[in-house]
Amino acid sequence: MGRTTHSSSSSINSSSHPSLSSASSSFKPMTDISTNLSLGLSISTSSQHGNSSNSRNEEVNWPPIKPLLRSMLADQKRNYPHRSTFFVKVYMEGIVIGRKVDLYAHHNYDGLIRTLRRMFKTTTIRFPADIHHVQNDSDHLLTYEDKEGDWMMVGDVPWDLFLTSVKKLKISIAVKC
Amino acid sequence: MPPMANSFPEEVLEHVFSFIVNDKDRNSVSLVCKSWYMIERWCRSKIFIGNCYAVSPVIVIRRFPKLRSVSLKGKPHFADFNLVPEGWGGYVNPWIVCMVEAYPFLEELKLKRMVVSDDSLELISKSFKNFKSLVLSSCEGFTTDGLGAIASNCRLAMMWGSFGNLKGCLLKNLTELDLRECEVDDRRGHWLSQFPENCTSLVTLNIACLDGEVSFSALERLVGRCTNLRTLRLNHAVPLEKLPNILSRAPQLVDLGTGSFSSDARPELQSKLAGSFGRCKGLKSLSGFWEVVPSYLPAVYPICSGLTSLNLSYASIQSGDLMKLVSQCQNLKRLWVLDYIEDRGLEIVAASCKDLQELRVFPSEPYDMEHSVALTERGLISVSEGCPKLQSVLYFCRQMSNAALVTVARNRPNMTRFRLCIIEPRTPDYLTLQPLDTGFGAIVEHCKDLQRLSLSGLLTDTVFEHIGAHAKKLEMLSVAFAGDSDLGLHYVLSGCKSLRKLEIRDCPFGDKALLANAMKLETMRSLWMSSCSVSYGACKLLAQKMRKLNVEVIDEGGSPDFRSDDCHVERLYIYRTVAGPRTDDPDFVWTMMKDSSLKPC
Repeated sequence: MGRTTHSSSSSINSSSHPSLSSASSSFKPMTDISTNLSLGLSISTSSQHGNSSNSRNEEVNWPPIKPLLRSMLADQKRNYPHRSTFFVKVYMEGIVIGRKVDLYAHHNYDGLIRTLRRMFKTTTIRFPADIHHVQNDSDHLLTYEDKEGDWMMVGDVPWDLFLTSVKKLKISIAVKC
Repeated sequence: MPPMANSFPEEVLEHVFSFIVNDKDRNSVSLVCKSWYMIERWCRSKIFIGNCYAVSPVIVIRRFPKLRSVSLKGKPHFADFNLVPEGWGGYVNPWIVCMVEAYPFLEELKLKRMVVSDDSLELISKSFKNFKSLVLSSCEGFTTDGLGAIASNCRLAMMWGSFGNLKGCLLKNLTELDLRECEVDDRRGHWLSQFPENCTSLVTLNIACLDGEVSFSALERLVGRCTNLRTLRLNHAVPLEKLPNILSRAPQLVDLGTGSFSSDARPELQSKLAGSFGRCKGLKSLSGFWEVVPSYLPAVYPICSGLTSLNLSYASIQSGDLMKLVSQCQNLKRLWVLDYIEDRGLEIVAASCKDLQELRVFPSEPYDMEHSVALTERGLISVSEGCPKLQSVLYFCRQMSNAALVTVARNRPNMTRFRLCIIEPRTPDYLTLQPLDTGFGAIVEHCKDLQRLSLSGLLTDTVFEHIGAHAKKLEMLSVAFAGDSDLGLHYVLSGCKSLRKLEIRDCPFGDKALLANAMKLETMRSLWMSSCSVSYGACKLLAQKMRKLNVEVIDEGGSPDFRSDDCHVERLYIYRTVAGPRTDDPDFVWTMMKDSSLKPC
């Protein structure tokens, strides 16, 4: 087990790091620092921003519940209008790891497509309905797996109906017709 | 060390060491002297690595040439709650590739929060000649195709060498395939039917997390021929009608995860079920109960008295039915349940389950702020009074008081794991409107052996003062929406002597506490901080000074280099390592000081 020599901690202490320099002249680790610390903080600016910028989405991913239970509870509440989030997994062909998208944060297909384009940094995600407009091999089409386990074209049913049956999304490379 | 010990022949010491199975004890043994270190490393067969980036496969293999069992963890724990961006890392493949070369006789692999590809699974299935056990917890990145590879290579290999000379015989007897809470891309392949007909060795098969339908006939045949099967956990796609048949083929089961527990009203199913449960006299653990219809529950009554573990966290059953069920489970040691159980149900638990050691109560409606179920602090008090062996609690509720926590602490000083989640952040004591500092303070003060603690509710720095002063055995602490200043973090880092993992979100903890306790970080496995007040400059400084730490700034908004040093970092993950900065970091992870080892400090 490595134990660093004292010099390293004292050099942190005497550093010229900006946020420390205002408050740390007498700030020593592992000693009776509580008074120094509180004094230091009273003139520190460091705890002011940060929180305000985070406060709007601070309750995201809270309370802490594992995905399997989360999705079971979501399934159960699928038909209850007062649920606030509905995450489904999105896979993109060629990328092993899926991502998640909150369908309840969208109101129609267009918004969803915009989010996915941003998420996967590509402008070529299209509705299968536009399939006859497919221009080149780099175009991507959006499909979804429904409750029965069948893969369907996104856009085949009205948005509300889509919400009641979608289980996950897949973005696949379009094959030119 | 007495000089005598050195005079033992190596074989004798090796034999003595073989009785020392605990990882910590083995580590201690290897620190005694050089010769013990050498002997221990040559005979170590089992290893646990709590962070796959804390060491490299090459270093592990160099030190321990004869491992048979490897446990490896990847992502930070907060990944369970969606706080770690997808694609962060934790890839197992580099490990597998190295182990295939070094450990052809590897038998067990346990992976947690790692990205496992189908290629990795295929490599595992083909390479390890004696492979027996694969446990994947909260892993992702693979599909049922990869599982098919594991299944198809599970067979009794042809005996080679002369008959009668069993030394040359390779037995590939997979005994355990355990998928715990994994995210598997289900390709609907009939992967279960890829278990060869001569595969009869399974003891554990857990596929509860799978999404899609399984082939029932393949499942039934597999269950039927694996006569040693003890644990079978099905997924929700297995309908209740199939259960009697499966149970009748495996009356020896000890641990059953049911699939869906609903069916169109069929009176004969009820009695058939009761009959087949009744014949499984050895059942000790039940889980599953997806989409449960309460009228089928009496089918499990005959075996309730033998149960020690009951997981009803996927079972949406109301209080009355839950009470009928748990009141018959008088030997329960572990109960997981949704908050539908309510306070009155927990009173029944307290009165019936005198051996209860672990209780988890999950929220049925975590995102709704209205009280829809009558679960409060009173349920927790009842159980703490009625169950003298209770030592592990995870409790989601909507109201709490200091008085209640003090009572729980006094009732159960034997508590080792206490996780309380009050759903609305920063909720004060509902009686006094005060912070919950005193209550959690009582927990750490009375429960001297507390190893794990999760805080919630309105909390000031005072609670951290209590924790630093009393929680001397605390190993893992989770904090959210708490504290008022750096002082809070300082109390914890300077006071908790046994702390190994600390995870913090949305707290005003910043540079000074972190830098002042930089040395402490080297004694810990990891520190996670998200939405706190740590500056980018402090991260750089920390990495500069503490070369054995990897300081990773995680920011999906672009390189922090474009912002000023006193900008707060979005997420921060710090861990000690002997392997240096990792090379597989994605473009939203910046490891401080990486590629700058030659720069002057």
